[in-house]
Amino acid sequence: MKEKTPLLQRDGTRSVLASLISILIGLAAGAVVVFLVGLFNKSMSVKSAWEGIRLIFLGLFSTGRSASGSLSFGFNPVTFGNMLFRATPLILTGLSVAVAYKTGLFNIGAPGQYLAGTAATLFIALEIPSSVVPAWLIWILAFLGGMAAGALWGAIPGMLKAFLNINEVLACIMTNWISANLVTWMFDVSNLKNTVENTKTAYIYKTSFNGVQTPKMLLDKIFPGSQVNGGIIIAILLAILMYIVFTKTTFGYELKACGANRHAAKYAGIKDRRSIVLSMAIAGAMAGAGASLYWLAGNTEFYWSTYQSLPATGFNGIPVALLAVCNPIAVIFTGMFMSMLDIAGQQLTALTAYNEYITDVIISVIVYLSAFSLVIKLWLGGKAKKKAGSGPDANAEDPAPAVKTAANGKEAGE
Amino acid sequence: MSFLIRQTLIYAVPLMIVALAGVFAERSGVINLALEGIMIFGAFVGVLFVRLVQQWGWFDAAKEMNNWVALQGFLLLTMVVAAILGAAFSLLLAFAAINLKADQTIGGTALNLMAPALVLFLIRLIANQNTLQMATGDSASWFMIKKTMFGFDKKAKLGFFGSTFLDKVYLTTYICILVFIILSIILYKTRFGLRLRSCGENPQAADSLGINVVKMRYAGVTISGALAGMGGFVYALTTANCASTGDVAGFGFLALAVMIFGNWKPLNIAGAALLFGLFKCIAAAYASIDINGDGVFLLANIGLNANFYRLLPYLITLIVLAFTSKSSRAPKAEGIPYDKGQR
Amino acid sequence: MEQTPEYVIEMLHITKEFPGIKANDDITLQLRKGEIHALLGENGAGKSTLMSVLFGLYQPEQGEIRKDGRPVKIESPNDATALHIGMVHQHFKLIEVFTVLDNIILGAEDTKMGFLQKKNARAKVAALSEQYGLHVDLDAKVEDITVGMQQRTEILKMLYRDNEILIFDEPTAVLTPQEIEELMQIMKNLAAEGKSILFISHKLNEIMEVSDRVTVLRKGKYVGTIDTASTTKEELSRMMVGRPVQLVVDKAPAQPKEAVLTVEGLTVPSKVHKNDAVKNVSFTAHAGEIVCIAGIDGNGQTEFVHALTGLEKASAGRIELCGHDITHQSIRARSQTGMSHIPEDRHKHGLVLDFTLEQNMVLQRYYEPRFQNHGFIRFGEVRSYAEGLIEQYDVRSGQGPVTVARSMSGGNQQKAIVAREIDRDLPLIVAVQPTRGLDVGAIEYIHSQLVAQRDAGKAVLLVSLELDEVMNLSDRILVMYEGEIVGELDPKKTTVEELGLYMAGAKRQGKERESA
Repeated sequence: MKEKTPLLQRDGTRSVLASLISILIGLAAGAVVVFLVGLFNKSMSVKSAWEGIRLIFLGLFSTGRSASGSLSFGFNPVTFGNMLFRATPLILTGLSVAVAYKTGLFNIGAPGQYLAGTAATLFIALEIPSSVVPAWLIWILAFLGGMAAGALWGAIPGMLKAFLNINEVLACIMTNWISANLVTWMFDVSNLKNTVENTKTAYIYKTSFNGVQTPKMLLDKIFPGSQVNGGIIIAILLAILMYIVFTKTTFGYELKACGANRHAAKYAGIKDRRSIVLSMAIAGAMAGAGASLYWLAGNTEFYWSTYQSLPATGFNGIPVALLAVCNPIAVIFTGMFMSMLDIAGQQLTALTAYNEYITDVIISVIVYLSAFSLVIKLWLGGKAKKKAGSGPDANAEDPAPAVKTAANGKEAGE
Repeated sequence: MSFLIRQTLIYAVPLMIVALAGVFAERSGVINLALEGIMIFGAFVGVLFVRLVQQWGWFDAAKEMNNWVALQGFLLLTMVVAAILGAAFSLLLAFAAINLKADQTIGGTALNLMAPALVLFLIRLIANQNTLQMATGDSASWFMIKKTMFGFDKKAKLGFFGSTFLDKVYLTTYICILVFIILSIILYKTRFGLRLRSCGENPQAADSLGINVVKMRYAGVTISGALAGMGGFVYALTTANCASTGDVAGFGFLALAVMIFGNWKPLNIAGAALLFGLFKCIAAAYASIDINGDGVFLLANIGLNANFYRLLPYLITLIVLAFTSKSSRAPKAEGIPYDKGQR
Repeated sequence: MEQTPEYVIEMLHITKEFPGIKANDDITLQLRKGEIHALLGENGAGKSTLMSVLFGLYQPEQGEIRKDGRPVKIESPNDATALHIGMVHQHFKLIEVFTVLDNIILGAEDTKMGFLQKKNARAKVAALSEQYGLHVDLDAKVEDITVGMQQRTEILKMLYRDNEILIFDEPTAVLTPQEIEELMQIMKNLAAEGKSILFISHKLNEIMEVSDRVTVLRKGKYVGTIDTASTTKEELSRMMVGRPVQLVVDKAPAQPKEAVLTVEGLTVPSKVHKNDAVKNVSFTAHAGEIVCIAGIDGNGQTEFVHALTGLEKASAGRIELCGHDITHQSIRARSQTGMSHIPEDRHKHGLVLDFTLEQNMVLQRYYEPRFQNHGFIRFGEVRSYAEGLIEQYDVRSGQGPVTVARSMSGGNQQKAIVAREIDRDLPLIVAVQPTRGLDVGAIEYIHSQLVAQRDAGKAVLLVSLELDEVMNLSDRILVMYEGEIVGELDPKKTTVEELGLYMAGAKRQGKERESA
């Protein structure tokens, strides 16, 4: 198509708009909850509700309270750097969900894969003595080990799906809990529990304890005082790599064909089972990489007694992916957005009587909306068509002819 | 032994009732992945209701007088409240899945994320911590049926049957079993049940016979929500000492597995729930299970790590699914939005 | 002064539009009491839409429906049922896991306090099946009974509701010639008892045999209504298509050359039951001939093709293609050895519906060096290749190579598959029901393409359920019944009736095949 399609009628534009609408509605829903609580809770006031609402929307720019006690906003390099740091694992778990979804699989197993990656990374990073092996080599081994462990953990539901046709959602949920218990078990019997700092219970040593940590790659110069490191760059590179694999290569073509229609892929001689397992393994590797980069930062501590809970970073990969319509490049931005929400939640807890769970409410509303984003997109399409119809260059193609042929197809299939 | 049976029932009953919740949704054609979330929500609502009524002081008097009829009635009322609000919460799924023809897996996942988020947000505001408990006392002292209520002496021996089913049990267990039986009969023996099942198998056929598919699917999802909400409260009451933590430890998902293992049929589900209940019970209480009553805690003495028992139910679920998935038969039209135009 | 009106149902000047298409344009249909009235038209002529309007599934933009001379509004299937209109749909509207009786009463149940009361219903259904000779096992599950019995269940559903106007939507597509015979008799019985029947079909033989009058539609428009007795098949087909149609494929005698495909003792286990779906099948297909495997749906053809193409595993036997043993080869290896495959189900196997047309065009060869470079797809090459095929095979779509396959019409989807498979230029073409659901124009085109391939020295293995297609297109017919080849026939020397006997298992050749 050489002719220019009107901006509003392009599929991509509509996807972006649908996502933006989802985000706005999600934030608004959060604001409404905060407002209602402020209104009906005697210990709070409408004023505090207003503060809460402002923090939900502008949490990233919060700089605390001014001398007069009112909220102050502005650019804060520490918050920005921390936002990038927290976005790193979110981008990767988002990629995990997105690449699986592109191949027709709903990977709700990212939390378990994330935990598997966590365990492998921490064991490698802490058990290999840096006095014998150079730290940079340990870093690489730990990173690759985390990816491999995640891949393995993702491949399990993949195999169950491919060979026994077990619903991957259910299998993923079970492997999540198995992972949580297994990881707790492994650390429980390990010698990696932090016994040096007595104030901490049930934490594992930081990897910096063994001299292993991700290089800053000059980012600390831009965002001084924050946790940011080179991990975010690696995450972005991985996103670009996924984009290339899935849009430019025959391998990506095979995986996508298999996801869109397993039978047709098989008919075309594509090994459907292998594709499903590989898709899940790649997805798992991404989640595992997310865990590696988070824990290899050197300034993070893992709470090992995790058998009762699954890491939210894993689940939050779902909204990151869905908001990005599973486009790996878009995942970079939606991951940062989700990280922004995270920061806003922290500010909310720190500065008001509200708590960070409101951000989870917002996230869930966004996921809910993305379940029918197609409806929103169609609605947007209808709007655009009306608009274009009044203009001089009325709708030249899209989407009227498609609808027409679809109706024909239905007739012919009668 | 009677301890083992009682404990198994405590886990099996919520599993059974929530698996039946799954059956009603899926037999009407909607995959209800949100069982977990609805349970969390129902547990919160139930605990909050108990707490509020305690705070209003209405039942303290009954408690003082040991008027256990009033207390059990209060418990029943709480179950109803949890069921109603569970049903209301499930309407979110019904609306997305039926009216907007949304992806049911994502819709269900959204509810699973929403319930703990909302619940924890509110719990933190109400209780200033991450757990919402009863205002006074614990569930055992308030609601448990003990042999003394039937006029037996504290030291009286009731025999195996009596000590298993009449002492230190919750009324909810029997209510749930009763509800389970009634609803199973409704599913198979009534016009409503026949029509509901037809919508999950072939909605086009149902529609051509004048059956309102949308209405039936709403009914299926709403019943499902009510059962899951009630099951959530029963779970919190009996296993978590009537506390809500924004978490039911994957119980809703286990119920889904029980449903699949039971092949969407109530009788098989009851059996599967007992089996899973047993494993859950072992996982939770392996250290204090004395199987043959000789004072030897066999499982604890094997010396396996606690985490092994904890992961056992999930591992067994996977293995069971692996063996049964080939022969299992889901309702044919589940998960597919019904589109009138697509005949 | 009540006078019996001439027509029980009249649909006057019905117009129904869908976005971008007029499915029904000013159509009039009048049904007399006690007659069998055929509604004739190609796929896409608007027959189903018109019936859906009558059945209350669609609301027409214009026009009027009258029952016994009085105007009525039919807004839902419930209204249609209240007017005693019933329909046997082409794809049965049955719940497979329910019993026959439950299917019959569904939507019209007797209840006491909400509980089902089936006793009276059972008696009524039993009486009806006696009266009209519709024998079914009321307690059998629908999934376990034959297609013919399922159809009888559908008819009983209508009779149970005391329907007076019975619509049969393409009822013979799934039946054996003998079952068709029975159905015709049932329809005549029903009409004799005073029921009025609308019979939707595009099969001229059946219409000539059973109907009293015919209404013809073409491309959503009304062509005319005539008495069957005063017309001919040729006349009807001209009315239906709008031009004279060649009912017979024009082809020279086959000139078979060397063997391309040799199948020996192929046996395939069934996925549904314990017996083998395909039993000890052996034959050879030569270059330059069209070999047809005929049979009623569900007699092992699907499993046979799956085993041949590698989609399923055979449990015994040997397959040789162009001199290579491919019995244990992968799907891709078979395809590379020289087999192209036009699959039975274009939506399940033939296309990735969410991919674009160009992506679908390279589905079988995206990995060839022409289309990739070190694992990277050569998009320019894919585009120009797809454009070439679209041009050459006249595949029509909204946006050319970037059209999403799902949005294309069934005929053009099938053309795209045929183009893709033929263009691979391989010695063997396996074509399974290549014209299913297509209109006459597309059928003619695909037939001529297959004959051209045969004349170019390819071996064509055709699997078809359509008797006309079998008789017209093939050079040799192998009849498959319950997984076995029960006869090899020469289309020039056999009749449709004889073929039907083989297909129904009433006749078989040679005892030597019974070794299994």
